[in-house]
Amino acid sequence: MGVAEEMDDWWKLSGRVWLFGNNVDTDQILPGYAMSAPREKLREYALAGSEQPDFAKTAKLGDVIVAGENFGCGSSREQAPAALHEAGAGLVVARSFARIFRRNCINIGLPVLAADLLPYVQQGEEISADIKEGTICIAGSGSLIQAKKLSASVLETLECGGLINKVRRQLGLGI
Amino acid sequence: MNEIERHLARAAGKTTVEAGEEITAAVDLVIAHDVTGPMAVEQFQRIGVDHVFEQQKVVFVLDHIIPAATVEARALHNSLRKFSRRFNTVLYDQGQGVIHQVVAEKHNLPRGAIIVGADSHTCTAGARGLIAIGVGATELAAAMATGVIDLEVPETYEIRLEGKMSPGVYAKDVILHLIGKFGTGGFTDQAVIFAGSGTAGMSLHEKMTIANMGIEMGAMITYFSDLDMVGPVRETFTFDLAAIPPSVACPYSPGNVVPAREAVGTAITQVVIGSCTNGRLSDMEVAAEVLHGKKVHPGVTLIIVPASQEIAQAMEDRGLTKVLRGSGAMVTGPGCGPCFGAHMGLLTADDVAVSTTNRNFPGRMGAREARVYLSSPRTAAESAVAGEIVAPGTVAPLDGGC
Repeated sequence: MGVAEEMDDWWKLSGRVWLFGNNVDTDQILPGYAMSAPREKLREYALAGSEQPDFAKTAKLGDVIVAGENFGCGSSREQAPAALHEAGAGLVVARSFARIFRRNCINIGLPVLAADLLPYVQQGEEISADIKEGTICIAGSGSLIQAKKLSASVLETLECGGLINKVRRQLGLGI
Repeated sequence: MNEIERHLARAAGKTTVEAGEEITAAVDLVIAHDVTGPMAVEQFQRIGVDHVFEQQKVVFVLDHIIPAATVEARALHNSLRKFSRRFNTVLYDQGQGVIHQVVAEKHNLPRGAIIVGADSHTCTAGARGLIAIGVGATELAAAMATGVIDLEVPETYEIRLEGKMSPGVYAKDVILHLIGKFGTGGFTDQAVIFAGSGTAGMSLHEKMTIANMGIEMGAMITYFSDLDMVGPVRETFTFDLAAIPPSVACPYSPGNVVPAREAVGTAITQVVIGSCTNGRLSDMEVAAEVLHGKKVHPGVTLIIVPASQEIAQAMEDRGLTKVLRGSGAMVTGPGCGPCFGAHMGLLTADDVAVSTTNRNFPGRMGAREARVYLSSPRTAAESAVAGEIVAPGTVAPLDGGC
């Protein structure tokens, strides 16, 4: 396989869906009492304050969070997306995102896509996505949904594995 | 270009910018606290540079969990102490106050200066005409290293506040009313300029309260203009201040806003007065005026948290602390206090609180089921005496009222 093909594969993800509603705030994603937890323990608190507090215990690598409007509203705490990432989440799809949360996800290398999937997917269903193209395929129904395409700058950040690597590259420090 | 676009263009070294354009802007101050800062310095060290872009422009404030409530919290403080010694950055240690208040008191910046802060309420600084943008730890680390931030120029909306607030109505009621109207995602990714005759008569404290909760409408930037004409904006909304009632945000969202009279009679068990939203001297004066010669209801725990050491000192000097303590309140040291549920007044599922803070999400102050109503210091103080939510003027007469 050539480098270009490997890169194409890199943008493709698949996983099981966890469904959430509108306005899931950062206190639900990572409660205030857990904010002083060291990074390696953050995963234990992922979504601990939400309607699915068992997420951290049962999430598998590559799982996909699917939510409604304004996902991640509230605090700037990067512990929130970090906890999701550490617990295994490989992608977050929401109808809309709060600005700081969305940027935090990208900056730590956790892809996000803006699309309204709630009417089309069930909890636990398998979906796949092409991050670069912004397409999401629902395995059960075979439906293909187009999310808003990510900007070139966001794709570059994700490709670097997060903002720190991107800055290192810009400063000539290598990745 | 409007005012915000002019400031962003200058910071990006461009003659013009337009909404949607991606720019790289120079930053004038980079701020973080004891919860976000340690993650930022960890990320900064991964970048691998040996200095911050400018030592005096990188500021840390220990405010969220100070004094340390856990061993882990103490470790967070120590990580910022160690970093500040090594990189000669500015550190406000030992409980100087809430980051946004301390930065307002200690860092005088010209209008249009750019602040990047690892705290969502960084937008508070828009009260004094700064372009203040909340970010996460990684983006802050990048700004610490490079002195710049990549941004998309936001669409700008104008909110004109005209006339005067009625007796019993405060800046907090105004911003709660607006959040109720526009919703918690109403201005996501967008900038909001506050202008109008009503803002000209507002104190900096009042503007800070309003700018502070811009993030509760999702805004990227909230900004108070000092001009009559702010320049071209996407849309202008006008509000008559006299028509805004005392308001409360009911559980479990800052957007779940009703006139205070509709929540009257709700039994409460705790009241919190403080935070970056409402912990300033004028807020404490309102609380003391209400509580003077009265007692807090025996079923209510009243916690009062000055937003800074300077405010705490002024409260002592003016006898406010004595009045508040005399009423049965616990007056704590400066900081974030119980606002975000890490310490100093957590609630059980059975508790109902009135708080002058900025969020009442599920679990924000303890148990997921605990109910928190957001209000002005006036409504909070009167409710503390009554033991239930009351409208301003119920337990103490309003200025200019009957």
